[in-house]
Amino acid sequence: MADEMADEMAAAIAESPAPEPRLEPWEVFRQEREGEPMAHAGSVLAPDAELAVHYARELAARRGESVRLWVVRRNDVHVLDDPDWLRPALDRSYRQPGGYVMRDKLALARAKVAGEPGPGER
Amino acid sequence: MTTIAAGLAPALRSALANLILSMADDDLVIGYWDSEWTGIAPLLEEDVATSSIAQDEIGHARALYGLIGELTGTDADAVAYDRPAGAFRHARLLDGPRGNWAMTVARRALYEAADAVRLEALAGSGYAPLAGLVRKIQREEAYHLAHSDAWLERLARGGEEARGRLLAALDTLAPDAATVFAPLPDERALVDAAVLPQPMRILEQRWRERLAPDFRQLRLPMPGPAIDAEHGRDRHADAFRWLWEEMTSVRRLDPEATW
Repeated sequence: MADEMADEMAAAIAESPAPEPRLEPWEVFRQEREGEPMAHAGSVLAPDAELAVHYARELAARRGESVRLWVVRRNDVHVLDDPDWLRPALDRSYRQPGGYVMRDKLALARAKVAGEPGPGER
Repeated sequence: MTTIAAGLAPALRSALANLILSMADDDLVIGYWDSEWTGIAPLLEEDVATSSIAQDEIGHARALYGLIGELTGTDADAVAYDRPAGAFRHARLLDGPRGNWAMTVARRALYEAADAVRLEALAGSGYAPLAGLVRKIQREEAYHLAHSDAWLERLARGGEEARGRLLAALDTLAPDAATVFAPLPDERALVDAAVLPQPMRILEQRWRERLAPDFRQLRLPMPGPAIDAEHGRDRHADAFRWLWEEMTSVRRLDPEATW
Protein backbone atom coordinates (compact mmCIF):
# COMPACT_ATOMS: atom_id res chain seq x y z
CA MET A 1 0.00 0.00 0.00
CA ALA A 2 2.79 2.38 0.94
CA ASP A 3 4.66 1.18 -2.14
CA GLU A 4 1.74 2.04 -4.40
CA MET A 5 1.53 5.51 -2.92
CA ALA A 6 5.24 5.93 -3.33
CA ASP A 7 5.05 4.81 -6.95
CA GLU A 8 2.23 7.25 -7.69
CA MET A 9 4.09 10.04 -6.04
CA ALA A 10 7.29 9.23 -7.88
CA ALA A 11 5.41 9.08 -11.16
CA ALA A 12 3.81 12.44 -10.49
CA ILE A 13 7.18 13.97 -9.78
CA ALA A 14 8.73 12.35 -12.82
CA GLU A 15 5.98 13.45 -15.16
CA SER A 16 5.78 17.03 -14.00
CA PRO A 17 7.96 19.48 -15.90
CA ALA A 18 11.29 19.97 -14.23
CA PRO A 19 11.29 23.19 -12.23
CA GLU A 20 13.48 25.78 -13.89
CA PRO A 21 16.26 26.47 -11.44
CA ARG A 22 17.28 30.04 -11.85
CA LEU A 23 20.62 31.17 -10.64
CA GLU A 24 20.19 34.63 -9.23
CA PRO A 25 22.67 37.05 -7.81
CA TRP A 26 22.60 37.51 -4.05
CA GLU A 27 24.44 40.35 -2.38
CA VAL A 28 26.56 39.48 0.62
CA PHE A 29 27.27 41.81 3.51
CA ARG A 30 29.65 40.95 6.29
CA GLN A 31 30.39 42.25 9.73
CA GLU A 32 33.95 42.24 10.95
CA ARG A 33 33.17 42.50 14.65
CA GLU A 34 30.02 42.80 16.70
CA GLY A 35 28.76 46.36 16.51
CA GLU A 36 30.54 47.21 13.26
CA PRO A 37 28.48 48.23 10.23
CA MET A 38 27.55 45.59 7.69
CA ALA A 39 29.89 46.02 4.75
CA HIS A 40 29.30 44.82 1.21
CA ALA A 41 31.50 41.83 0.50
CA GLY A 42 30.51 40.88 -3.02
CA SER A 43 27.87 38.64 -4.54
CA VAL A 44 27.17 34.98 -5.21
CA LEU A 45 25.00 33.18 -7.73
CA ALA A 46 22.58 30.73 -6.16
CA PRO A 47 19.20 29.17 -6.91
CA ASP A 48 17.69 29.96 -3.49
CA ALA A 49 18.32 31.45 -0.07
CA GLU A 50 19.59 28.29 1.58
CA LEU A 51 22.38 27.70 -0.89
CA ALA A 52 23.04 31.44 -1.12
CA VAL A 53 23.87 31.40 2.59
CA HIS A 54 26.24 28.45 2.10
CA TYR A 55 27.99 30.18 -0.76
CA ALA A 56 28.14 33.48 1.11
CA ARG A 57 29.91 31.68 3.92
CA GLU A 58 32.51 30.43 1.49
CA LEU A 59 32.89 33.91 0.04
CA ALA A 60 33.06 36.01 3.16
CA ALA A 61 33.61 33.82 6.20
CA ARG A 62 35.85 30.99 5.14
CA ARG A 63 38.79 32.23 7.15
CA GLY A 64 36.84 33.19 10.22
CA GLU A 65 36.89 36.84 9.19
CA SER A 66 33.22 37.64 9.85
CA VAL A 67 30.93 37.41 12.85
CA ARG A 68 27.78 37.93 10.83
CA LEU A 69 26.61 37.78 7.24
CA TRP A 70 23.57 39.22 5.54
CA VAL A 71 22.54 37.63 2.27
CA VAL A 72 19.98 39.42 0.16
CA ARG A 73 18.55 38.61 -3.21
CA ARG A 74 19.66 41.38 -5.51
CA ASN A 75 16.13 41.66 -6.84
CA ASP A 76 14.95 42.43 -3.33
CA VAL A 77 17.28 45.34 -3.05
CA HIS A 78 15.51 48.61 -3.73
CA VAL A 79 17.75 50.88 -5.73
CA LEU A 80 17.68 54.64 -5.87
CA ASP A 81 19.92 56.18 -8.50
CA ASP A 82 17.79 58.97 -9.90
CA PRO A 83 19.99 62.12 -9.88
CA ASP A 84 17.01 64.41 -9.34
CA TRP A 85 16.30 62.58 -6.09
CA LEU A 86 19.93 62.35 -5.02
CA ARG A 87 21.37 65.64 -6.27
CA PRO A 88 18.58 68.23 -6.31
CA ALA A 89 18.84 71.02 -8.90
CA LEU A 90 18.35 73.93 -6.50
CA ASP A 91 20.99 75.14 -4.10
CA ARG A 92 20.74 73.31 -0.84
CA SER A 93 24.16 74.17 0.45
CA TYR A 94 22.68 75.24 3.77
CA ARG A 95 22.33 71.54 4.52
CA GLN A 96 26.10 71.16 4.45
CA PRO A 97 28.34 71.79 7.41
CA GLY A 98 29.80 75.17 6.58
CA GLY A 99 27.03 75.87 4.11
CA TYR A 100 25.30 78.30 6.45
CA VAL A 101 27.79 80.85 7.68
CA MET A 102 27.30 81.81 11.30
CA ARG A 103 30.34 84.00 11.88
CA ASP A 104 28.79 87.39 11.24
CA LYS A 105 25.56 86.55 12.98
CA LEU A 106 27.50 85.40 16.04
CA ALA A 107 29.49 88.61 16.12
CA LEU A 108 26.25 90.61 16.11
CA ALA A 109 24.79 88.54 18.89
CA ARG A 110 27.88 88.86 21.09
CA ALA A 111 27.90 92.59 20.57
CA LYS A 112 24.28 92.86 21.66
CA VAL A 113 24.97 90.84 24.78
CA ALA A 114 27.90 93.08 25.62
CA GLY A 115 25.62 96.11 25.41
CA GLU A 116 27.15 97.72 22.42
CA PRO A 117 24.77 99.07 19.89
CA GLY A 118 25.07 97.10 16.77
CA PRO A 119 25.35 98.70 13.37
CA GLY A 120 22.13 100.53 12.58
CA GLU A 121 20.92 100.50 16.21
CA ARG A 122 20.90 103.24 18.89
CA MET B 1 53.43 8.78 23.25
CA THR B 2 51.34 11.01 25.51
CA THR B 3 50.88 10.21 29.17
CA ILE B 4 47.19 9.45 28.67
CA ALA B 5 47.99 7.07 25.83
CA ALA B 6 50.75 5.37 27.79
CA GLY B 7 48.31 4.81 30.62
CA LEU B 8 46.06 2.61 28.48
CA ALA B 9 46.44 -1.13 28.43
CA PRO B 10 48.14 -2.15 25.15
CA ALA B 11 45.11 -4.11 23.94
CA LEU B 12 42.80 -1.17 24.54
CA ARG B 13 45.27 1.24 23.00
CA SER B 14 45.40 -0.91 19.88
CA ALA B 15 41.61 -1.19 19.70
CA LEU B 16 41.29 2.55 20.12
CA ALA B 17 43.84 3.15 17.35
CA ASN B 18 41.72 0.96 15.06
CA LEU B 19 38.59 2.91 15.89
CA ILE B 20 40.22 6.24 15.14
CA LEU B 21 41.83 4.80 12.01
CA SER B 22 38.42 3.85 10.66
CA MET B 23 37.23 7.43 11.17
CA ALA B 24 40.38 8.99 9.77
CA ASP B 25 40.41 6.78 6.71
CA ASP B 26 36.74 7.54 6.04
CA ASP B 27 37.40 11.27 6.07
CA LEU B 28 40.61 11.01 4.05
CA VAL B 29 39.04 8.90 1.31
CA ILE B 30 35.85 10.90 0.92
CA GLY B 31 37.87 14.09 1.11
CA TYR B 32 40.10 12.95 -1.73
CA TRP B 33 37.26 11.76 -3.94
CA ASP B 34 35.21 14.93 -3.48
CA SER B 35 38.24 17.15 -4.03
CA GLU B 36 38.14 15.93 -7.63
CA TRP B 37 35.24 18.32 -8.18
CA THR B 38 37.59 21.27 -7.90
CA GLY B 39 37.43 23.07 -11.20
CA ILE B 40 34.57 21.04 -12.64
CA ALA B 41 31.64 21.25 -10.22
CA PRO B 42 28.27 22.06 -11.80
CA LEU B 43 28.12 25.58 -10.36
CA LEU B 44 31.04 27.89 -9.69
CA GLU B 45 29.85 28.56 -6.17
CA GLU B 46 29.44 24.85 -5.63
CA ASP B 47 33.01 24.33 -6.81
CA VAL B 48 34.16 26.48 -3.91
CA ALA B 49 31.79 24.91 -1.39
CA THR B 50 32.60 21.32 -2.33
CA SER B 51 36.33 21.96 -2.44
CA SER B 52 36.08 23.58 0.94
CA ILE B 53 34.14 20.68 2.40
CA ALA B 54 36.57 18.14 0.93
CA GLN B 55 39.42 20.11 2.40
CA ASP B 56 37.68 20.12 5.79
CA GLU B 57 37.38 16.33 5.64
CA ILE B 58 41.07 15.91 4.96
CA GLY B 59 41.74 18.30 7.83
CA HIS B 60 39.63 16.17 10.13
CA ALA B 61 41.48 13.09 8.92
CA ARG B 62 44.79 14.75 9.64
CA ALA B 63 43.74 15.59 13.20
CA LEU B 64 42.54 12.02 13.73
CA TYR B 65 45.76 10.54 12.31
CA GLY B 66 47.54 12.81 14.75
CA LEU B 67 45.66 11.17 17.63
CA ILE B 68 46.70 7.76 16.35
CA GLY B 69 50.26 9.01 16.18
CA GLU B 70 50.03 9.86 19.87
CA LEU B 71 48.79 6.38 20.63
CA THR B 72 51.40 4.58 18.61
CA GLY B 73 54.40 6.90 18.76
CA THR B 74 54.42 7.72 15.04
CA ASP B 75 53.46 10.83 13.09
CA ALA B 76 50.26 11.57 11.19
CA ASP B 77 51.82 11.37 7.71
CA ALA B 78 53.31 7.98 8.40
CA VAL B 79 50.01 6.65 9.71
CA ALA B 80 48.08 8.03 6.75
CA TYR B 81 50.38 7.28 3.83
CA ASP B 82 52.84 4.56 4.75
CA ARG B 83 50.33 1.75 4.41
CA PRO B 84 49.47 -0.53 1.52
CA ALA B 85 45.98 -0.21 0.05
CA GLY B 86 44.89 -3.38 1.84
CA ALA B 87 45.60 -1.81 5.21
CA PHE B 88 43.11 1.01 4.79
CA ARG B 89 40.05 0.75 7.01
CA HIS B 90 37.56 3.14 5.51
CA ALA B 91 34.01 1.99 4.83
CA ARG B 92 33.45 0.19 1.52
CA LEU B 93 30.76 2.82 0.83
CA LEU B 94 33.63 5.17 0.04
CA ASP B 95 35.63 2.88 -2.27
CA GLY B 96 34.11 4.04 -5.52
CA PRO B 97 34.91 7.19 -7.47
CA ARG B 98 32.94 10.39 -7.01
CA GLY B 99 30.83 9.59 -10.07
CA ASN B 100 28.43 12.21 -11.35
CA TRP B 101 26.99 14.95 -9.16
CA ALA B 102 24.08 12.77 -8.05
CA MET B 103 26.47 10.03 -6.93
CA THR B 104 28.50 12.52 -4.90
CA VAL B 105 25.34 13.97 -3.33
CA ALA B 106 23.88 10.54 -2.56
CA ARG B 107 27.06 9.27 -1.00
CA ARG B 108 27.57 12.42 1.01
CA ALA B 109 24.02 12.23 2.31
CA LEU B 110 24.53 8.65 3.50
CA TYR B 111 28.00 9.28 4.90
CA GLU B 112 27.35 12.61 6.60
CA ALA B 113 24.37 11.18 8.47
CA ALA B 114 26.46 8.20 9.55
CA ASP B 115 29.36 10.40 10.60
CA ALA B 116 27.00 12.63 12.59
CA VAL B 117 25.70 9.63 14.53
CA ARG B 118 29.22 8.37 15.13
CA LEU B 119 30.46 11.77 16.27
CA GLU B 120 27.49 12.24 18.59
CA ALA B 121 28.35 8.98 20.29
CA LEU B 122 32.08 9.68 20.51
CA ALA B 123 31.57 13.19 21.90
CA GLY B 124 30.96 11.21 25.08
CA SER B 125 33.98 8.94 24.70
CA GLY B 126 35.88 8.02 27.81
CA TYR B 127 39.11 8.78 25.95
CA ALA B 128 39.28 12.54 26.52
CA PRO B 129 41.54 13.49 23.57
CA LEU B 130 39.12 11.82 21.17
CA ALA B 131 36.03 13.34 22.81
CA GLY B 132 37.62 16.78 22.67
CA LEU B 133 38.59 16.52 19.00
CA VAL B 134 35.19 15.09 18.10
CA ARG B 135 33.40 18.03 19.67
CA LYS B 136 35.42 20.44 17.53
CA ILE B 137 34.82 18.39 14.40
CA GLN B 138 31.09 18.28 15.12
CA ARG B 139 30.85 22.04 14.89
CA GLU B 140 32.21 22.01 11.34
CA GLU B 141 30.28 18.92 10.36
CA ALA B 142 26.98 20.66 11.10
CA TYR B 143 27.68 22.77 8.02
CA HIS B 144 28.52 19.71 5.92
CA LEU B 145 25.29 18.03 6.94
CA ALA B 146 23.19 21.08 6.11
CA HIS B 147 24.84 21.38 2.71
CA SER B 148 24.41 17.69 2.00
CA ASP B 149 20.73 17.74 2.99
CA ALA B 150 20.14 20.81 0.84
CA TRP B 151 21.42 19.01 -2.25
CA LEU B 152 19.68 15.72 -1.50
CA GLU B 153 16.39 17.58 -1.43
CA ARG B 154 17.13 19.62 -4.55
CA LEU B 155 17.95 16.53 -6.59
CA ALA B 156 15.08 14.48 -5.19
CA ARG B 157 12.66 17.25 -6.17
CA GLY B 158 14.58 18.47 -9.18
CA GLY B 159 12.52 16.80 -11.87
CA GLU B 160 12.84 13.61 -13.82
CA GLU B 161 16.49 13.68 -14.75
CA ALA B 162 17.84 14.81 -11.39
CA ARG B 163 15.66 12.44 -9.45
CA GLY B 164 16.44 9.58 -11.80
CA ARG B 165 20.15 9.99 -11.36
CA LEU B 166 19.80 10.28 -7.61
CA LEU B 167 17.78 7.08 -7.43
CA ALA B 168 20.33 5.30 -9.63
CA ALA B 169 23.13 6.46 -7.35
CA LEU B 170 21.32 5.36 -4.20
CA ASP B 171 20.69 2.00 -5.83
CA THR B 172 24.40 1.56 -6.58
CA LEU B 173 25.39 2.57 -3.06
CA ALA B 174 22.73 0.60 -1.19
CA PRO B 175 24.69 -2.65 -0.67
CA ASP B 176 27.56 -0.73 0.92
CA ALA B 177 25.77 2.13 2.65
CA ALA B 178 25.82 0.64 6.14
CA THR B 179 29.51 -0.32 6.03
CA VAL B 180 30.28 2.84 8.01
CA PHE B 181 28.98 0.77 10.92
CA ALA B 182 30.90 -2.40 10.11
CA PRO B 183 31.88 -4.08 13.38
CA LEU B 184 35.32 -3.05 14.58
CA PRO B 185 38.01 -5.40 15.77
CA ASP B 186 37.93 -5.51 19.58
CA GLU B 187 34.75 -3.47 19.64
CA ARG B 188 33.72 -5.19 22.86
CA ALA B 189 36.81 -3.88 24.67
CA LEU B 190 36.08 -0.37 23.49
CA VAL B 191 32.48 -0.49 24.67
CA ASP B 192 33.47 -2.00 28.03
CA ALA B 193 36.02 0.75 28.55
CA ALA B 194 33.37 3.38 27.59
CA VAL B 195 35.72 4.59 24.86
CA LEU B 196 33.01 3.72 22.35
CA PRO B 197 29.78 4.54 24.18
CA GLN B 198 27.57 2.33 22.03
CA PRO B 199 28.38 -0.60 19.74
CA MET B 200 28.27 -0.07 15.99
CA ARG B 201 25.02 -1.97 15.50
CA ILE B 202 23.25 0.50 17.81
CA LEU B 203 24.79 3.39 15.91
CA GLU B 204 23.63 1.86 12.65
CA GLN B 205 20.08 1.76 14.01
CA ARG B 206 20.33 5.41 14.96
CA TRP B 207 21.58 6.24 11.48
CA ARG B 208 18.55 4.61 9.93
CA GLU B 209 16.22 6.42 12.34
CA ARG B 210 17.92 9.64 11.39
CA LEU B 211 17.67 9.12 7.63
CA ALA B 212 14.18 7.65 7.55
CA PRO B 213 12.04 10.80 7.92
CA ASP B 214 13.85 12.70 5.15
CA PHE B 215 13.97 9.69 2.87
CA ARG B 216 10.29 9.06 3.45
CA GLN B 217 9.40 12.66 2.70
CA LEU B 218 11.51 12.66 -0.46
CA ARG B 219 10.24 9.21 -1.51
CA LEU B 220 13.74 7.76 -1.56
CA PRO B 221 14.46 4.11 -0.80
CA MET B 222 16.30 3.42 2.43
CA PRO B 223 19.44 1.29 2.01
CA GLY B 224 19.20 -2.22 3.37
CA PRO B 225 21.76 -4.01 5.51
CA ALA B 226 25.29 -3.99 4.13
CA ILE B 227 26.44 -6.92 2.05
CA ASP B 228 29.40 -8.72 3.62
CA ALA B 229 29.02 -6.43 6.63
CA GLU B 230 31.72 -8.20 8.66
CA HIS B 231 34.26 -7.07 6.08
CA GLY B 232 32.76 -3.69 5.48
CA ARG B 233 36.08 -2.04 6.22
CA ASP B 234 38.76 -4.51 5.32
CA ARG B 235 37.75 -5.67 1.85
CA HIS B 236 37.98 -2.94 -0.71
CA ALA B 237 36.91 -2.64 -4.31
CA ASP B 238 39.46 -2.22 -7.10
CA ALA B 239 38.39 1.40 -7.54
CA PHE B 240 40.04 2.21 -4.25
CA ARG B 241 43.35 0.84 -5.52
CA TRP B 242 43.42 3.68 -8.06
CA LEU B 243 42.79 6.28 -5.34
CA TRP B 244 45.46 4.76 -3.12
CA GLU B 245 47.99 5.03 -5.97
CA GLU B 246 47.04 8.68 -6.49
CA MET B 247 46.97 9.86 -2.93
CA THR B 248 50.16 8.11 -1.85
CA SER B 249 52.09 8.83 -5.05
CA VAL B 250 53.85 11.95 -3.82
CA ARG B 251 54.72 10.38 -0.49
CA ARG B 252 56.05 7.24 -2.14
CA LEU B 253 58.30 9.27 -4.45
CA ASP B 254 60.33 10.21 -1.43
CA PRO B 255 59.04 9.25 2.00
CA GLU B 256 61.83 11.17 3.70
CA ALA B 257 61.10 14.47 1.98
CA THR B 258 59.84 17.41 3.98
CA TRP B 259 57.39 19.82 2.39
